[in-house]
Amino acid sequence: MSFFAIARLLIVAAVAGGSAWSANGPANAAMMQDNIERYRVEAKALGQGFEAFSAERGRILFSSSPAAGKPDTPSCTACHTTDPAGVGQTRAGKEIAPMALSRTPDRYIDVKKIEKWFRRNCNSVLGRECTPLEKGDFLTFMASQ
Amino acid sequence: MDARLPLNSPQMDTEQPAQTARVWDLPLRLFHWVMAAVVVVAGVTGFLAPEWWLGLHVIAGYALATLLSFRLVWGFVGTRYSRFGSFPLALGGLYEHLRSIVRTNPKTVIGHNPAGAWMIIILLVALVTLVVSGLIALGGQENHGPLAAATGFLAGEMAGEIHQIAAWGLAAAVAVHLLGVFAETRIFRHPVVAAMMIGRKAPPGSAVNVPRSAHTVRGAAWFMAIAGALLVSGITLAGLPSSGWRALDTPAVYVSECGDCHAVYHPSLRTGEAWRSMMNGLENHYGEDASLDEQTVSIIQAYLVDNHAGTFDTEAAQRIGRVETPSLRMTDVAYWKSRHQGIAESVFRLNSVGSKVNCTACHTDAASGRFDDVKIHLPEKDKP
Repeated sequence: MSFFAIARLLIVAAVAGGSAWSANGPANAAMMQDNIERYRVEAKALGQGFEAFSAERGRILFSSSPAAGKPDTPSCTACHTTDPAGVGQTRAGKEIAPMALSRTPDRYIDVKKIEKWFRRNCNSVLGRECTPLEKGDFLTFMASQ
Repeated sequence: MDARLPLNSPQMDTEQPAQTARVWDLPLRLFHWVMAAVVVVAGVTGFLAPEWWLGLHVIAGYALATLLSFRLVWGFVGTRYSRFGSFPLALGGLYEHLRSIVRTNPKTVIGHNPAGAWMIIILLVALVTLVVSGLIALGGQENHGPLAAATGFLAGEMAGEIHQIAAWGLAAAVAVHLLGVFAETRIFRHPVVAAMMIGRKAPPGSAVNVPRSAHTVRGAAWFMAIAGALLVSGITLAGLPSSGWRALDTPAVYVSECGDCHAVYHPSLRTGEAWRSMMNGLENHYGEDASLDEQTVSIIQAYLVDNHAGTFDTEAAQRIGRVETPSLRMTDVAYWKSRHQGIAESVFRLNSVGSKVNCTACHTDAASGRFDDVKIHLPEKDKP
């Protein structure tokens, strides 16, 4: 049994114990781990001494105000609020469901959707694409929230 | 009883004093007072209430249409003094009457006096104008009601102008009418208000009692027939597809991709050219990267361009959608600004609104492109 499969089992077990989770919670969390695993493969392939994703680095990425992208979007928190469990709002006024996996269990299951938002929002906030390391850190942080 | 009134009526009536005669039949009196009440409702909702009270205004309009249709028919088939044929409309008579008023000794007239008869003609013309122009405006501007299928927006807008002028005309006519009634009752001591309530007047000479109850039954039958015919034809016509608006089959990808960040704007709110420019510049979409893959872009662009503002004849499409702006923003259109200038900036900043481009926050039917007045619902202040 691979390390990944064991990790997946552990998460499924941990999540199944949580009472606030929807019926699809465990499956959603597992799918999110599939996506984190994809970024792990990408990060390793870059060969820059990748060890592991860090929720703490993800938290810093989420909370920082790089103001390096477009002027109206200086940080993630400008729209998503400083609390990952908080309900955000787009500049056009639309509500944004919380980023925390515990609050929006089905947020991180679709690869295309995850990639679309990283592409757009990294460009809007950072003025560049995000690295696989940043994406993995970010998702790891949100999975812990 | 006024002692000056002549007691020359020969027939004795056990129920009523002999010197009065029944002049105004019950259907006419009911018409008068119900219409007065409905006009008050229409006037208050039309002049004073905000747009979203249009629903009640329109109901008052339908009621008026029914009442007026009845009155116009009753003017030919009703009892003697209700008939237009009995109205003393000769200009010579009107002149004589006005002179007698100036000399402060107008005669008591059985039926209408010449000034009153002309007043009724003016009131009826104003009311019919209001009902007709209101129906055209409702059909053209709101795509509602029996004329929605037959009237375009510009016709509706023109009718709306006429409607406003006629409303002021009616207000003036009602003021003169009330002044006339005041003069009759207070200065010349002719109890015309009581007459319109109980139907009896003290005639100067011999007066013919109008039929007692048969006419009431006949009036009720006429009213039911007219109301029924209007209801059936109105509902049938209102069921026809409106000329300016159609329902669209919105691609799910449009709702999910564009609607994630902002209101799902109806294609009729921009020109085809504007939609093309917008879809070509998604990398910098009002300060954000909103890029999409090529296939998604082509589906969404086809939907928007196929259903652009020129393909709709609604108020929103005509006045906002068809007007191009350098920013492509509809909030930069002069008409948008003028229609929203009464709304405080603080309302746009409410959490439930967020921004000026969140149409749906107040226009609950914005996604359909209709922007009906009755669907406007200003948000309450956010709870702390």
